[in-house]
Amino acid sequence: MVMIRVLMDPLVIAAISTAFAIIITIVDSIVNNYGDVEIDINNGKKVLKVKGGSPLLQTLASQGIFVASACGGRGTCGACKVKVLSDVGPYLPTEMPHMSSEDISKNVRLACQVKVKSGIKIELPEELFNIKKYKGVVESLKNVTYDIKELRIKLIEPNEISFKAGQYVQIVIPPYGDIKEHTQRAYSISSVPSDKNHVELLIRLVPNGIVTTYVHNYMKEGDEAELVGPFGEFYMRDTNADMVMVAGGSGMAPIKSIIFDMYERNITNRRVWFFFGARSLRDLYYVELFRDLEKKWPNFHFVPALSDPKPEDNWSGEVGLITNVLDKYLDSMIPKDNVKEGYLCGSPGMISGCIQVFNKYNIKDVYFDKF
Amino acid sequence: MKLTPEYASAQESMKPGKITAEGFLGDDDRNIVDIITADEEEFAHLNLDFSEIAKLLRQLLREGAKGLGNVVTFEKWEITVDEARGNIPCPFKDGMFSKRVATIKNLNNSKQIMISDLSVHLLEKHHFLQGKGSIFRLEPSIIKAVLYE
Repeated sequence: MVMIRVLMDPLVIAAISTAFAIIITIVDSIVNNYGDVEIDINNGKKVLKVKGGSPLLQTLASQGIFVASACGGRGTCGACKVKVLSDVGPYLPTEMPHMSSEDISKNVRLACQVKVKSGIKIELPEELFNIKKYKGVVESLKNVTYDIKELRIKLIEPNEISFKAGQYVQIVIPPYGDIKEHTQRAYSISSVPSDKNHVELLIRLVPNGIVTTYVHNYMKEGDEAELVGPFGEFYMRDTNADMVMVAGGSGMAPIKSIIFDMYERNITNRRVWFFFGARSLRDLYYVELFRDLEKKWPNFHFVPALSDPKPEDNWSGEVGLITNVLDKYLDSMIPKDNVKEGYLCGSPGMISGCIQVFNKYNIKDVYFDKF
Repeated sequence: MKLTPEYASAQESMKPGKITAEGFLGDDDRNIVDIITADEEEFAHLNLDFSEIAKLLRQLLREGAKGLGNVVTFEKWEITVDEARGNIPCPFKDGMFSKRVATIKNLNNSKQIMISDLSVHLLEKHHFLQGKGSIFRLEPSIIKAVLYE
């Protein structure tokens, strides 16, 4: 009798556990099944029928509408702001750090944090409808410095992209090593818009970075690649102002695209100064490329500066922090006879330092990506 | 201290590939409560104060950031701050931090530590110095040597 109980008890417990698991699964599917819901975009201009329950960002992406998201939906970049006209509940703590009082007054929300549980009305800029997902193949992957790679992707499906020089794309990388999910991050395009079949990116290795580690240590030529884009408001403004551009590290990417696009399109009447800051010679790259352009375009001036050149660098160019070099040029070397615009791409510290210098010279039209 | 659901959730987020490629735990097989408890005991033993250290580390981050990526000498320290664009969330879900990393070297003894805005927050608010083997692990004895010798 005791033997039978010893054998039966585990079976009874297993059966009860299984029954509980089935009940939980059924209850979960009922409670969290939101069924089909409608997303009304721009007051009926586009109406999507979707399965409810997922974040708005992913739901829109599943329908081919890609809202910018530099962090891939983790709520850390604050890029996926969308005006929501329906009541979708109070703001989440994850949204608040990204919201200004104006955002809140307009009921702007982070699309990655808002779940689509019922019918919802939203407003989206029309240009978002032109953003696509691209499949391609890694055509080349080269070191341009010890910690920056130039990644060139040949587009396959669709095989052409249309973008403004200076815009960015999000690269989607597959799971690898301990990374169990697809991850995406935003990178500026360094190629020119006329090269419609390719996208070139400059990617600096960030310690412990999920995507940069993949690109530097796992990706290889011939691999499939996935991109979403183009996004961004960083591009050449159509004015006659002189352009003062400053970059550091992989911030070279959008500036390179803008400068070579201008040259290709014969917009060479504008005066352009491009300041590139690096620590020592090993951090400098594309110098010959820009020196060659200077010879062909008299209004273009390239000013690389090293802040900490090594003796073996034999550096005879500008020395100092890029903000100091910029200050020196604006003070005495750049003609003051025309209005100026600032274009910046680099670390947040470099951007805020350059803005201070621009303020000193009353340069108010300053453009940079906020991600 | 108990591994509450909040700590368990934070520990899950600290695994490789969740927030960062390598995570926050290194090759340490202790749970985060055990790591925190051991480091709090070590701090007490070394007569270190979490708030004071966080305040000093933030000051050194600020001074180092003035170098825009270059080495800055401030008092007895040599500081280099590198910045990447974007933000990183705290695994305890109580803040978002810029991706700014500083290497701080004490010129008296050449000992150095690597910190970030997030690792200073983790030290101050959660007494979490990361698992042994993590690249951002802050060993209490090394902190003391770098900051106070």
